[in-house]
Amino acid sequence: MFILTDLRVLLRETAPLHRLDQQQREAAEALITGLQQQVNALREELLL
Amino acid sequence: MKCAELIDVRDVDESSINIDPIQVGGRLTPEAMKAVISYGDGYSVCDHCRKPFRLDSIKTPPIDAFHRDLAAFVNMDVARVVPGARRGFQAVAGTYVSKGDPVLITALSHYTEILAIEVCGGVLREVPKNEENMITPGAAAEKIEAVSREFGRPPALFFLDHVDYQYGNLHPAKEIIRVARQYDVPLLYNGAYTVGIMEVDGKDLGADFVVGSGHKSMAAPAPSGVLATTAERAKEIFRTTAAKTDVTGRTFGVKEVEMMGCTLMGVTLIGMMASFPRVRERVKRWEQELEKSRLVVEALRSIEGTAIRSECPRRHTLTRVDTTGSFDQVARTHKKRGFFLSSSLKARGIAGTIPGATKVWKFNTYGMTPDQAEYVARAFREIAIENGLVVH
Repeated sequence: MFILTDLRVLLRETAPLHRLDQQQREAAEALITGLQQQVNALREELLL
Repeated sequence: MKCAELIDVRDVDESSINIDPIQVGGRLTPEAMKAVISYGDGYSVCDHCRKPFRLDSIKTPPIDAFHRDLAAFVNMDVARVVPGARRGFQAVAGTYVSKGDPVLITALSHYTEILAIEVCGGVLREVPKNEENMITPGAAAEKIEAVSREFGRPPALFFLDHVDYQYGNLHPAKEIIRVARQYDVPLLYNGAYTVGIMEVDGKDLGADFVVGSGHKSMAAPAPSGVLATTAERAKEIFRTTAAKTDVTGRTFGVKEVEMMGCTLMGVTLIGMMASFPRVRERVKRWEQELEKSRLVVEALRSIEGTAIRSECPRRHTLTRVDTTGSFDQVARTHKKRGFFLSSSLKARGIAGTIPGATKVWKFNTYGMTPDQAEYVARAFREIAIENGLVVH
């Protein structure tokens, strides 16, 4: 949830066009990667 | 997407640049957003409440330290969190105003100050504004003198808004407070539009009370705020209950009467606390905020027929603009009539104006990135050009 919050903040900072500069793209990439890892961990712990 | 059956998800600030005059200083920091998720349950900050069972004594989370930090932040001796600035006004009025007492406000005072005085039966007297929509020390002195003649005593209290909600003008608070002190009139400094976005030093100003708004200017959920005062006044304003019930003989010794006991017991306080480190830093960047405000203001001024009704150059990010001679002229023949402006802004991803308002309206640039400020400035010019207005 906190990673989603960080993505939400990124959306706010780049509204309304959401054109990310290089630094923002790297931040978004790291956040989304972290989110995927968290989702995988949840899947393993709850469903597998 | 919906939060609940009848509640749509709110994404105004994610999808748009929000220029709403009252919302922008209260947008949460990332830390507050996270804290709000974690502390959403009712009495969530009370997990570790121990004797003496009062909010400002709780150590985990460090609410006691936060109260001290808040007082230091506005350079006063004692602070309490309150459910909005208005409840701070009410607490002060409840302590110092009795029925029939004259109370000074100004011609630009917020309505909640008036209600706080009305609750106590106080008699309202206004310091008039001048032609520039400013409150001056001279006008304050004249009014105190007039009230003293009328009532045979000076006002019981003086409410002064450092920045008013109508024009966003920065009034000479220090000089006005000096006048109030000369007449021994206790003064409440209303910092709803200052505390949390610009530096405020209550002792330097000479105020007896400093009130701030969490949801207006401190990146906190509503309703939240701060009431800070001097050590001397704290004994009066934060007095504890002396009540004893007749049948059970119960007493509640540590509970503060004007605070109604504990004030913010959950998400409002934790949001305020979580944002505080950033808020404490952001007030030092006020000059950068003014640069963005001036950029947008200059874009509007470049549109022929547009007048800025707030003081210029701008000393605050809240601005009142009169577009009767520009956008309102367009509205007369535009197929969307008065809705064309908000509609054109919305199409560009700019939100926060009142639909249909094309005459006199307000906006606030606080918290925009430099790119967003330039985007807004450009958007106003583009809308003007598209609709045949002259842009210089």
